[in-house]
Amino acid sequence: MASVQVLRQRIRSVKNTKQITKAMQLVAASKMRRAQETTKASAPYSSSARELLASIGRHQSAKHHPLFMKRTIKNRLIIVIASDKGLAGAYNANIMKLYAEQLIDDRRNGIDTQTITIGRKAAQFAARLKDSRVVGAYEELPDNADSPMFKAILNSAVDKFVSREVDAVDVIFTEFISMAKQQVDVVRVLPAGLKFTDKTDDMDEADYEPSAQELLDAIAYRLVEARIFQTLLESRASEHSMRMVAMKNATDNAADLISDLTLVMNKSRQGAITQELAEISGGVEAINL
Amino acid sequence: MNLRLVSLMGVKFDREVYEVMVPTPDGIIAIFPDHEALISLLVPGVLSVRYDKTDPDEKLEHFAVSGGVVEIGANKVKVLADEADHGDEIVESEAKAALERALKDKSEAKDQVELDRAHELIDRHAVRLKVAELRRHHRRI
Repeated sequence: MASVQVLRQRIRSVKNTKQITKAMQLVAASKMRRAQETTKASAPYSSSARELLASIGRHQSAKHHPLFMKRTIKNRLIIVIASDKGLAGAYNANIMKLYAEQLIDDRRNGIDTQTITIGRKAAQFAARLKDSRVVGAYEELPDNADSPMFKAILNSAVDKFVSREVDAVDVIFTEFISMAKQQVDVVRVLPAGLKFTDKTDDMDEADYEPSAQELLDAIAYRLVEARIFQTLLESRASEHSMRMVAMKNATDNAADLISDLTLVMNKSRQGAITQELAEISGGVEAINL
Repeated sequence: MNLRLVSLMGVKFDREVYEVMVPTPDGIIAIFPDHEALISLLVPGVLSVRYDKTDPDEKLEHFAVSGGVVEIGANKVKVLADEADHGDEIVESEAKAALERALKDKSEAKDQVELDRAHELIDRHAVRLKVAELRRHHRRI
């Protein structure tokens, strides 16, 4: 049986680990709440942009706009959104698995794939795969749609699509379904899908400044922007949520380990005392003989 | 007339107003109730709001907006902006420092990409600084 002192040291070290995982759990929880709020906040923007687009779409043929044009897919761009830091359970592993599957599918179908990675973990994984051609890697992207880094990602995706360098742009992200459920998914952001309604409203008589075409450009671009931004925010919320759960499990495990070790330590201490007593009484018996 | 100001970070403003002044490519247009239906581009600039007909200019509320779209319908104005910040949210000294940084970036830009980005930042921070200054002036009166 291990000595009491060694056990005491181990208990102390597990307690320290537990404190750290507990702190990380709390930090992740507060970050997740904030991320969840931002995710909700950006929804009105997408819906407004879609409504506006529908108004203009009735006048101008939005279907032929460069950002909506469907082509046979020979090249595609995948934007992989993962995290900068680990210790988030299966968060990054799930993303990488889907990404690897997509690459295999593309190779089988003769599609040439380019990749933009967001997050250090995605960059590290993509660099190890010989099939992946990384055209951009971004780390520590702020949760802000105005950040130059986000604009750079958006612009390079749009430019590649409009210049016909790629025929589709997909995003691999983690959908935030609820605090307990997150799912990795791949969505097509370009060509931008669009449902046209025949609903008429009071905007039918509207004038356009400077022109319907220019407005269409601006709004279509914003719609794509909002869509990509939304996937980014959902990924963030999922990341924090999964990290919170992973850290909660670690904390619980540490607590179990501490109670197990304490039990072993007490038994070993008691055993030592019993043995010592037996030795003493044995010694006394021997003298008295 | 209802004004709804939506940015990517959420709904920034949604209430009844009397007059809205929005920056468009053809200059600032003032919108009063019963304006004709119009959809226009929005350029970076100052968006001002007057709540009541009798409010003097000092009581105007100012927002720094970046590019976007404005939709004017029967007694409703919808502004879709990349970014919209109320004067109270902008710290003047910070905006000023950011503008100076952007100007410095411009003078040190090595290629067209950096230059374009510097210009974008200059536009953005110049507008923010202006809104912050407007707010300070009004507080003083």
